[in-house]
Parts: sequence; structure tokens; C-alpha cells
Amino acid sequence: MLRILLAKDLRRAWRNPLPWLINLIVPLAMTALIGMVFGGHSDNGALGRIRFAVVDEDKSMLSDFLRGSANQNQGGKYLEPVFMERKDAMREINANKISAVFIIPTNFMRNYLTSREPVSLELIKNPAESIHPAVLEELLGAVVTGLNAISRNFQSEFSDWQAVLEGKEDYHKVSQLIDRAGDKLKTAKNYINPPLVSYEKEEPADETKSAESKSGATNSISSTSGLSKSASAKAGGSKSSSTDSVFAYLLVGLSAMFLLFLASNAMSDLYRELRQRTFERYQTLRDSLVPFIAGKAVFAVVMLLLCSGMMLGGGGLIFRIHWQQPLALMALTAGYTCFAAALFALLVALMPDERRAAVLNNMAGMALGLIGGCAFPANQLPGFLREHVTPWMPSYWFVDTARNLQYGGANVAWGLVVLKLVLLSVMLLALAAILFRRRFKMGLRA
Amino acid sequence: MSLLRVERLSKTFGTIRAVDSVSFQVRPGEIYGLLGPNGAGKTTTISMISGLLKPDAGEVFVDGKPFWANPQEAKRIMGVVPQELAIYEELTGRENLEFWGRMAGLSSSEARSRAVELLEALTLTDRAKDAVKTYSGGMKRRINLGCALLHRPKLLLLDEPTVGIDPQARLNILEFIRNLRASGTAILYTTHYLEEAETLCQRIGIIDHGRLLAEGTLGELQERLGGDRVFLLEADFKGTSPEAWGGFLQRFRIIQKTERQLVVAAIGARDPSECLKELLSLPVHVENVTLKRPSLNDVFLQLTGRELRE
Repeated sequence: MLRILLAKDLRRAWRNPLPWLINLIVPLAMTALIGMVFGGHSDNGALGRIRFAVVDEDKSMLSDFLRGSANQNQGGKYLEPVFMERKDAMREINANKISAVFIIPTNFMRNYLTSREPVSLELIKNPAESIHPAVLEELLGAVVTGLNAISRNFQSEFSDWQAVLEGKEDYHKVSQLIDRAGDKLKTAKNYINPPLVSYEKEEPADETKSAESKSGATNSISSTSGLSKSASAKAGGSKSSSTDSVFAYLLVGLSAMFLLFLASNAMSDLYRELRQRTFERYQTLRDSLVPFIAGKAVFAVVMLLLCSGMMLGGGGLIFRIHWQQPLALMALTAGYTCFAAALFALLVALMPDERRAAVLNNMAGMALGLIGGCAFPANQLPGFLREHVTPWMPSYWFVDTARNLQYGGANVAWGLVVLKLVLLSVMLLALAAILFRRRFKMGLRA
Repeated sequence: MSLLRVERLSKTFGTIRAVDSVSFQVRPGEIYGLLGPNGAGKTTTISMISGLLKPDAGEVFVDGKPFWANPQEAKRIMGVVPQELAIYEELTGRENLEFWGRMAGLSSSEARSRAVELLEALTLTDRAKDAVKTYSGGMKRRINLGCALLHRPKLLLLDEPTVGIDPQARLNILEFIRNLRASGTAILYTTHYLEEAETLCQRIGIIDHGRLLAEGTLGELQERLGGDRVFLLEADFKGTSPEAWGGFLQRFRIIQKTERQLVVAAIGARDPSECLKELLSLPVHVENVTLKRPSLNDVFLQLTGRELRE
């Protein structure tokens, strides 16, 4: 019986695929769109090249050095500095053509070498952008930290260096200074190599890691002082690994959200059956209504599995995502689809009116998606939601675990989450069955 | 023995008594017409007979057994054609028939062969592979009818099966139903079309406001009006009172009186010419008198005080 009902529903879905296609394409399109905005795959440099203006008002050797190093080596891959006057730079930033203006102020070298004032560089951020200016701010902070560190260690030699730079000393003095600097740098080598600023792969998540630490972007940009943290910093990260792809992060969340809408669409088919009187016709042939409703739930699960396969599998191919633990992800997705189907079966049982149900179902899907961290990282949610509501959302269980599977390594307790989702599904379905029975017992027409 | 027996069936929705103590029987090879205007209680009655609604009172017997004692057994010998098109528009005609055949308990091969038979009988073979949404209204009605016949039901409940289709398509469906009756199927047919009830049904029950007002063959119902003729008088009846016309109410039964018309039937077996003479001598200026055979509408008019078409 279930097989016949399922075949009928699959045929109908095949002949009228538009509602399904819309909910399939939207998450893929949104993933592509948002992913592109944030730079897409790490092969292309994760965040794209950051274009910014450098205004050198000092025109000294030190400022020349800073200007020159801005796009050297790895920096050239990620940074695109353009050199101009302050007035032009302000015009560019107002025209939204650059992410920030980096200003080396007048007397910068003199102040630095004489240690009259702490190192001060100016950064004007483009308010129309959020990520790129923030990255530049971090970088600048690291530069300042580095300059301060050099200042602390070479303070005693600065007056001699200033004399050399101003051409007041001979070559003997220069060679002595270089010799002493070399000795000091040898000692510090272990701390300042690798570079002060690097792209660092996130550490594997452990069981007790909080929601905040788990939900950051794929690449975390860390500014480290070589003296304290450089030992653990890694230049680059795994270059072509999908773990660096922002698409995987987005796709999991958006798929989770749109699977809810797809579940709503599948279970709302019961309303269509009621409206078209086909459910009534079934009742004139069969006494038990259970097979019909169970058939619809099975149909919803099958469709959701197919759609999740297309979203995560097809999306994976489109965005070149290599799922780290595909079997675990499949089991997790199966559990989540069961939950989604059961939830909307319950909502259909609760709400006899189709139009009201459509509004309620959309709101339920949206709320579960947003509060569950499908669209935004959970740590960006308001404190009350983040602390007290989100952890109870099955959508969060799925999304968080799926992301951990992708980024967190091998020790993710996904089996427990699958079990939780399946148990919840059984409870929701049982409740839906009770409500359906009550509705029909009360003599309500199908 | 009757295949369907309905005894004092009642159903109330809130304060509205939708069906009030309705009783009738349908025998094998008989079409029983349940005639009444929209909202009379026809569909509610069919819903209770088919198990879609539980009656508040009364009993339904199918093939001699109480329906609610074993609903599944009763449903096995019953086919229901709902008023709405209860079919899947995305599926083809053949797929619809096969699906409902499977739901009725047929095996896959039985459903397939029966679907072919029905498509042939309903003259839909050439459109069998087309989606139902591409069918005309009449073709959809035929498929809707066919979906109830897969399991060869002995009792068929038809709820206004010809609503909203053109006259030719209606004739085709009525012809198909006559053939079903000829094969021994007991049919309960609800309609608000007088002509259908008059030409199709062996017995007719007239229902209004949930109550079965009268039932019988067409002849028996006409007999209730006092013979096989009624008189239709046209005059200005405004402000007139038949009670004042010296013994008029003892000789004639008033079926309907409006400002311009008076429809009456003679009481007792009387000569029509004598009746005509009496009517022309009434104290009103009669402009026209028509003598006609009473129709079901006249019966309905007499029973309810209004026309079925109102």
C-alpha cells in the first residue's frame, strides 16, 4: 500500500516539479551568491584581493620600506595597494573603489627612531564594506605590534641607525650595526619566522567547544605577535582543501533551512488531497487512514532525501566541496529529513485551514532556520536566543554537527545527534497521528 | 432484498439540522433519485452512507448488514462518485484508474485490465495516456465516475455526477449509468435537475431542509397532486383570497399562488371540462388557463411552497 501511494506521489511530483525546483535552486543560488561575495574558494584567496590606498606623508626610508612590503610575496596574493595622495585616496574611498586608506603620517620615521611617541599609523576604513577593512585593521595592528617589538629590542641602536640613515656615519659603523642586528635577529629567528601575519587553519573542534568558537568563517585571519604565538602559526593552510571553502559552510546551513520548506511543501500535499477530495475518495475505499498519512510522510522523507542529495551532493560538485565525512553527513541528513517530515505532519494535523497553515509553516521553517543558525552563524544571534533557544533547535543540532563534521575533524558525536533527531521524529509523528485520529473522530470532513 | 437501507438518518452541524430522520431503500437494478435543491442535505446523506461522516442518529444497512459493524466490508461492495472531481490532475486517465483500483484492493494486473475495460466503456481509450488536466469537463467527469467502478461495486452512490458539463456529455454519462443499472447495480443518484430524476430514476425521494418530504415513482408522486393534470390560471390575484370563493378549497388543492399565477389541482376524480368551467367562473378576470400534466417541479412546489429552481 505504501509503495503504491509513494509511486503515485512521486509521479505527481515529477509531473509538477516547479515547487520542488524552486526550493532546490534557491539555496544553491544563495550559496553561490553569498559565497562569491565572500571570495569563494580558497584557491582564489578566500577573501579575494583587498584593494586599499597607501598615503605616504612621511616620504622617509622607513615609510618606503613599509610601502614596498605591502604587496611582496604572500602579501601580493591578497593585497592590492595603490599609492596616492590623501585627497585622491579620500575620493576613491568615497566612490567605494577601495576598502581602506592607510596613511603613514609626517615624521613617522623620526618619531619611531627617536621613540618620542608610540608607533602610530592611520587607517580610514570604508564603511560600505565589512570584511576587507577589518582584515586590513588586523594586519595594521600586527604591523604596529611588530614595529613596537623591534623598537623594544633595538632601542639602544636607533640613534646610530638614524645617523647612518642620515648619512652621518661611515661604512665601518654600518657594518658593526649590521653585525649586532644580525646577532639579535638570530636569537629572535624562532619567534619571527614564520611571518607575523598568516592564514591559519582552525584547530579541530573538541566536544566541549562552545558555539561561538565553532561558527566562525572558514578562514580565520590571525594577527600574532611572533614572540608569543608564532610557533603555532602555519603559513597558508591546506591550499586546495574544501575545508577552506566558505561554500560548504553556507551550503549546509541553507540546505537545512530549505529542507524545512521542502518538507512543508511535501506535507502540505495532504491539504491538496483534502481540497481535491482525493483523501475523501480514499476514505470511501479504505477504513484505516493511517496508510494514507504514513504514505505522505514516507513521500516527504523520500523527496527530502533526494533533494538533500541534490543540494549537498550536486552543490558539492558545483562548488568543488569535498565532504570530509560523507557517510556521517548522509546519516545526519537522513535523521534531519525524518525530523522535518514529522514536524510538518504535526503542523498539518494541528492546523485544518490550508491558508493559515501555509503562513504558519513558512514562519515555522523560517524561525527554525534563523534561530538554528542556518542563515547566520549562531554566535551572531542575540544573547538570549544564542544561550537559551538555539541549543534546543533540531535545525541547530543538524547544522552545527554537519559543520563540525566538515571542519572539526573525526571526533564529532554525530551518532548521538542522529539518534536525537530520529527519536524526536517518532514522537512528533505519534502526536500527529493522535491529532489526525481526533480530527476524524470528531466527524470533521476530510 | 434492498442493497441499501437507510433508517431515520440524522446529522446536525452546530445548530443546523442538515439531515433529519431520513429513511429510504435502494434495490438491486434500481436507480433511486434523491432530488432536492442545493443545501437540502443530499451530500450529507451520501457522506453518512459512505462512512465519511458518522450519523448522530439512525442506521445504514448495506447488503443487509449495519455499515458501522464492519465498515471495510461495506466499502468493498460500494462505489462512491463525489460531486467534486476527486482525481489527480497530474496523472493520466489510465494512471488514475489503476491507482484507485489498487486502493480498492485489486491486484496490479487486475487494476490494469479493468482500467482498459473502463476506458473503453467511457470512450476515453484514445486519451488514456494524457494527463487529466488536459481533459475537457465531460471527460474529467467520466474519469471521476470510472474511478469508483474499478472493483465492480454492487452499490453505487452518485453525488450529482453531471454538474457543470455540457448536454452531450451529460447524455453520455446518463447512458452509461443506465447500462450500469441494467447490469444489476443498485444506484443512489442525487441531483437537483428535475429532468434527470424524471428520465433516469425508477423511484424518487424529494428532500428539502434535511427532510425527506415524499418518495415514490414519478406516477406515485404525480398522484399526490390529485391525478394526472393541474390547472395554471393567469390573472391579477393581488388582494384576492381563495377562502372567500365559496367552497373553492373543498373542490381544488392550491399548489402555488402568486400575484399573477394560481396553480391548482382538482380534488377527486372530476371531469376536466367541469373543472375548467368552475375556474372560469371565479370572481377574478382570468386571462388564460393552461391544463398540463404535473411535473416533479409541481410536486416539489406543492411540498415546499417554492420551485426547485429558485
